Amino acid sequence: MTNPPPAAPAPFTPLAGAPTSDLAVATRGLVKSYGRQPALLGLDMSVPAGVVYGFLGPNGSGKTTALRLMTGLLRPKAGSITLFGTPYTWHDRRRLFRVGSLIETPSFYPYLSGYENLLVLSAAGPPTDPSRIDRVLDYVGMSGRAKSAVQTYSLGMKQRLGIAAAMLSNPDLLLLDEPANGLDPGGMVAMRETLRYFTGELGKTVVISSHLLHEVEQLADVVGIIDHGRLIREGPLAELLEASGRVRVRVTPEDMTRAAEILRRLAPDRPLYGVDSGDQAGWFTVGVAPARATELNRALSEAGIYASGLEPGSDLESIFLELTGPGTNVTAAGPAGPPTGPPPMAGPLA
Amino acid sequence: MRLIRAELLKARRRQATWVLLIVALVLMGVTFLLVGLGLQFTRLLEFPQMYAIIGQFAFGLGGLFAVVYAAALVGADWNWGVLRNVVARGESRAGYLLAKAIALAVLLAVAALIVFAAGIVMVYLTGLIYNVPVASPLRGRGLQDLLDNMVLGYPVLLQRAALGFTVAVLLRSQLAGAVIGIALYVGEAILTSVLTGLTIAQNFGNLIGEGGFKPIGPEWYQFLPISIGGNVLNTLPGGSSAAGVAAGGGLEQLFLRPVPLELALAGVIVYLAASLAIGVMALNRQEIV
Repeated sequence: MTNPPPAAPAPFTPLAGAPTSDLAVATRGLVKSYGRQPALLGLDMSVPAGVVYGFLGPNGSGKTTALRLMTGLLRPKAGSITLFGTPYTWHDRRRLFRVGSLIETPSFYPYLSGYENLLVLSAAGPPTDPSRIDRVLDYVGMSGRAKSAVQTYSLGMKQRLGIAAAMLSNPDLLLLDEPANGLDPGGMVAMRETLRYFTGELGKTVVISSHLLHEVEQLADVVGIIDHGRLIREGPLAELLEASGRVRVRVTPEDMTRAAEILRRLAPDRPLYGVDSGDQAGWFTVGVAPARATELNRALSEAGIYASGLEPGSDLESIFLELTGPGTNVTAAGPAGPPTGPPPMAGPLA
Repeated sequence: MRLIRAELLKARRRQATWVLLIVALVLMGVTFLLVGLGLQFTRLLEFPQMYAIIGQFAFGLGGLFAVVYAAALVGADWNWGVLRNVVARGESRAGYLLAKAIALAVLLAVAALIVFAAGIVMVYLTGLIYNVPVASPLRGRGLQDLLDNMVLGYPVLLQRAALGFTVAVLLRSQLAGAVIGIALYVGEAILTSVLTGLTIAQNFGNLIGEGGFKPIGPEWYQFLPISIGGNVLNTLPGGSSAAGVAAGGGLEQLFLRPVPLELALAGVIVYLAASLAIGVMALNRQEIV
């Protein structure tokens, strides 16, 4: 059998080298530490204007620190931040008039109502028409509870109020740190629609940091993945998925050794993952674009191996996990045999 | 202006505002009832003597409450994380803190007026309960005495509030601000009493001169933040109030020369301005996490 040459990875648009004047937010070489604990080790992040930017990273990777630096809460040790094309420093507070943010947990005066909290917040920062309060409360579906004290709110309601607070002054840039925390499914859908409207219809920019990769995958146009204080991948989500194209195929455990040899020939430059035990035994993740699934299936069947499952295997979660850390119950198919070795990728493949 | 209005709204809706005011009024009411027990010796409730008792609550106990309240007002922004929202919206840290300070000054002025108004009513009630005549609070220099009480006592109240305010900014906590503020307040009173005792012991011979009893001083510790305010309060019309005594003024008044009023008042203003300046500088430098 003759194996076709492996398809080259789809071209990936690097953003880090883009001129910062064209970006809503950019950081270059941003360094920050808390005492001796480093948090950011030279972050180069580029957020194009008018997109939803998914800012992803494991716990403690530096996402919140980066957002705090962008909102003047912290001072960087080194590096620069550019907001709307011009450099931003700690003292340029007025530049933040165009930024709305929800950093970490939503924080409010517990004894004031939701409306009153937004009223006192509207007194700070950019001049804000009080009529905006009703509008943003309506956006996030909190009009009905606007007069209740915040201390009676659930986490999800506080989160909605936090999003409303971020949108209060009609900002051009929204920085949202884990905005989906505590939101029910309806709230998530509403948030998604609101943010889509914000970018799509109003042409504004949203940076959303989240652990909910599925949520980000549905929302983000561009993603940046941060780990240990450095950006390890950034670009349009569609290109990232294409470049990291995968197909998942399942064979019987007895056929795994032979199947691994065939599959490795299809994508010799990319890692092959296989599960050799447990419920997921027999599944391979092959580094080829989903468009080559037919070719992969044909190659196996010509060798007398019949796939019992075949599906696209590339999603944001798998990319994220591959880039940011090892996990469990998945093994890499070594060069000379069935899947063995340390687990390179976290989480079940199913 | 909008920041000050927002601060006043927050304060008005906060339970601590009303609790502290009510506690001060209740304590004052109880005190007047106790004062009434000694009325067989006076047979007349007179002003400005009664102003001195009211001033004790407005500025003496009020000063202590002001430390706690100011710490609660500013420290809460750290405890509840709301300072993050304000700074991230691009608000000036100095402007925000000064707006808070101005709102606090307004609240303390209103509280002092309420205490004085309630105090005058309580004097009449005490007279009624114990069947003792009450002199008019506006008779003679009455109104001027009332104004003097307010004008001299109010800066002291502000200066003491500024102490709690600044400590809370430095420690980024309302509880820590209140506790440390009270500790400084009480600690300085104890310290000045001890130092006064030592001064008297060291200078006992000089206290009695040829012309009779001769107080000494002023001593350096009379210029400490709480003591200097006590000096001002001791000069309020109606005689030395217990407000001064609360700040270690008991022994001071007997054996030490008071700091001249103008100097004491200037000291209060300097401490007030310094406290606010330290608070603003600290907040401007702080990282908010």
